[in-house]
Amino acid sequence: MSFVDYSVEPPVVEGKPPLSSIDDAIIKPIDAKPTKAWFVAIAVSGTMLLIGAASLAVTFIFGVGMWGVNQPVGWGFDIVNFVFWVGIGHAGTLISAILFLLRQRWRTGIARFAEAMTIFAVMCAGLFPLIHTGRPWLDGYLMPYPNQHGLWINFTSPLVWDVFAVSTYFTVSAIFWYVGLIPDFATLRDRTVSRIKKIVYSILSLGWRHSNRHWQHYEMAYLILAGFATPLVLSVHTIVSFDFAVSIIPGWHTTIFPPYFVAGAVFSGFAMVQNMLIGIRKIYAIEHIITIDHLEKMNKIMITTGMMVGYAYGMEFFIAWYSGNSAETFVFFNRALGPYAWAYWTMVICNVVFPQLFWFKKIRRSIPAMFVIGVLVNVGMWFERFVIVVTSLSRDYLPSSWGFYVPSIYDIGILIGSFGLFFTLLLLFVKSMPVVSISEVKGVVEGAQPSHGGSH
Amino acid sequence: MKTPLQIEFQQKALPTRLTSLAWVMIGAGAALAVAAWYVDGPRAAFNNVVMFMMLASIGIGSLFLISLEYVAGAVWSTPMRRVSEILAFIIPVTGVAALPMFLNLHDLFHWTHAEAVEADAILKGKSPYLNVTFFGIRFVATFAIWYLFYHFITRNSRKQDSTGDQLFTRRNIRLSAIFIPVFAVTVTFLAIDWIMSLEPHWFSTIFGVYYFSGTMLAALAAATIAIILLHENGYFGTLLRRDHFYSLGALMFAFVNFWAYIAFSQYLLIWYANLPEETFWMTRRWEGGWEFLSLALIVVHFVVPYVGLLAQEAKMNPRRLKIMAIWILFAHFIDLYWLVMPTHHESFFFGWMEVGFPLLSVGIVLLVFILRYRKTSLIPTGDPKLKRGLDFRL
Repeated sequence: MSFVDYSVEPPVVEGKPPLSSIDDAIIKPIDAKPTKAWFVAIAVSGTMLLIGAASLAVTFIFGVGMWGVNQPVGWGFDIVNFVFWVGIGHAGTLISAILFLLRQRWRTGIARFAEAMTIFAVMCAGLFPLIHTGRPWLDGYLMPYPNQHGLWINFTSPLVWDVFAVSTYFTVSAIFWYVGLIPDFATLRDRTVSRIKKIVYSILSLGWRHSNRHWQHYEMAYLILAGFATPLVLSVHTIVSFDFAVSIIPGWHTTIFPPYFVAGAVFSGFAMVQNMLIGIRKIYAIEHIITIDHLEKMNKIMITTGMMVGYAYGMEFFIAWYSGNSAETFVFFNRALGPYAWAYWTMVICNVVFPQLFWFKKIRRSIPAMFVIGVLVNVGMWFERFVIVVTSLSRDYLPSSWGFYVPSIYDIGILIGSFGLFFTLLLLFVKSMPVVSISEVKGVVEGAQPSHGGSH
Repeated sequence: MKTPLQIEFQQKALPTRLTSLAWVMIGAGAALAVAAWYVDGPRAAFNNVVMFMMLASIGIGSLFLISLEYVAGAVWSTPMRRVSEILAFIIPVTGVAALPMFLNLHDLFHWTHAEAVEADAILKGKSPYLNVTFFGIRFVATFAIWYLFYHFITRNSRKQDSTGDQLFTRRNIRLSAIFIPVFAVTVTFLAIDWIMSLEPHWFSTIFGVYYFSGTMLAALAAATIAIILLHENGYFGTLLRRDHFYSLGALMFAFVNFWAYIAFSQYLLIWYANLPEETFWMTRRWEGGWEFLSLALIVVHFVVPYVGLLAQEAKMNPRRLKIMAIWILFAHFIDLYWLVMPTHHESFFFGWMEVGFPLLSVGIVLLVFILRYRKTSLIPTGDPKLKRGLDFRL
């Protein structure tokens, strides 16, 4: 077994590839014609998307009565999926903004892809509240408008805060992503031989010339956007947690929800990024740019956030007992032992038990093992939201009004559709834009940095 | 693998008048504290809780910062790590500082009154957790565990000075990785035991995280003050640069925001749900003059450090950073005062007793620092990350 030498900085990019080879490696798949595998992939994701579209059509024609929601469980799959997708989106901003502020140079290889994922995940998430209103043609009223009718707006409702939080988050993430893409669009513009592409990339690159002054403004803009995005990303899932925590439903109202939701979101988001990158780096042959070290670091973040989530599960349980509030205590025993116990234990095992395997370096660096754990984490995190939403509603204060929630096939269809939308957008992205930030990766190739002091 | 020693470092001795100052503070503080125990025992006990939690914040927070450096593989903090290692020696001292309180548990904790517990169904329900025996066991276990981690982590670090063996770094990474989850649990239950259970009916799941955010600020602020004072008086030579100070400041700034985030989350959720079983704790702090302290806390603990640390220059300029660090340490004291004292009396109070205990704490920290400094090299000369840490640039 070889040991790490702590006295030297580990390289971010493996080997010392010439800078031009980085351009080639990243841009080649965009220039080439789509492969057969790509068509197969988009056929599958497109089918999933159509299943979702058909389920939605049925919902719109006949109403939300087609879903499994009813009294007492008025929030079902749609809210579960909403929270799940918002959570997936969190890794992107964490990697691109927070790790940027923390000067983690390894983020460069994975940031672009994670940001794109964020944007698509937030799109998926945004769909669910819109369809859950039941009358989507009235969704325009969610946005502020001149209020002659005196109908709007219930500012004390966290559901309204959600509208602001998610739309702001989406806007800032999209701008952040686009700003990062500008230098790369310029590189694409300069390389392409296709006339149409040249025009498109010219427009997208906003006249970027890689000049010193451009870079200075760019760096400043990027830093400021990162500063904005950081509190935003925390606020989004905090407000999502408020949707539950401000209520007085046992199992929803607990003060740890904000940081607990944020940790869970980062956890699931990293699992998704890790899963996707394992595929991308293989297919695009960029294993020297997105290295096993990157994946290992992501796994370390997953075990950390996984334990934070585990801490929150434990603390909720302990305080439910400690509070002496019988309704609260009941909810937690009901979660672990009641009719949804299978969902609860799926959540605990996937989120808390399996990630513990990442204590072992071998597993942290084994692609098949980490892939499986990543998938399990996402399953677990989906079930976490299911457990929170459904168990608390199905059995609240009054035993005579208890109920049991079963999703309908349309609920499942829409869930599949959201995955279809997500993967379709991702596939279009990887075919039309650089999945790794070309300019940023060049900055972290060994030998690209100015040397300070020392003798050379 | 061995790293050759990288720098020549001549450690300067601390001036003897600093030792005298520490003893004067301890003497004056202890005299006031002893007088306080005679004049008003319960009030002194509550003051003792504040002092105990303050020392615990600095001690265990410092150990957490050290382990964070190892686990995260940070290099910028390596040249300054010894300051946190020295400060972590407060852990065993904190354990001793808790002993007077064990003589006065009855004045502090309502749940120790057998007849009150008997008459109260909720307290009775909690008694498997809130009873003196288990409370004592938790206390001893917590400090024993902390001391062991402190002992092994700092011993490995010191051993490396002479040998430069990287094996010690690897061992400490392992120890730190184990310590972090242990820390999360122990620090939570410390906060529940010594602060939350002062009002045994009140509960809040975020409380452990709230106290944790305070420990980070206290440990960072204490380290920053010491580092800058040593730097200004030439103890670090010319080894530290604005890049290092910037990083300390940025981390403090992050935790100022984190504290505000956690405090706001807790307050908003309790306010919004408006359940009497939770709100009474907040309303207690909104009456009898405590409301001014509550409002002041927002300004002292968030607004001032936020504005004071926001600019890049504020983090890079050691003099400004030092002032902010002192301010933040003071803010943590105010925070603890706000958490603990309203339980003792429903109207605001502050007198000579409340001066004596903080004076004693500062004296203790200073003396511990001086004594430990003599036995430790200020620079971890054998640490493989030292060279990278000294070359650290933003």
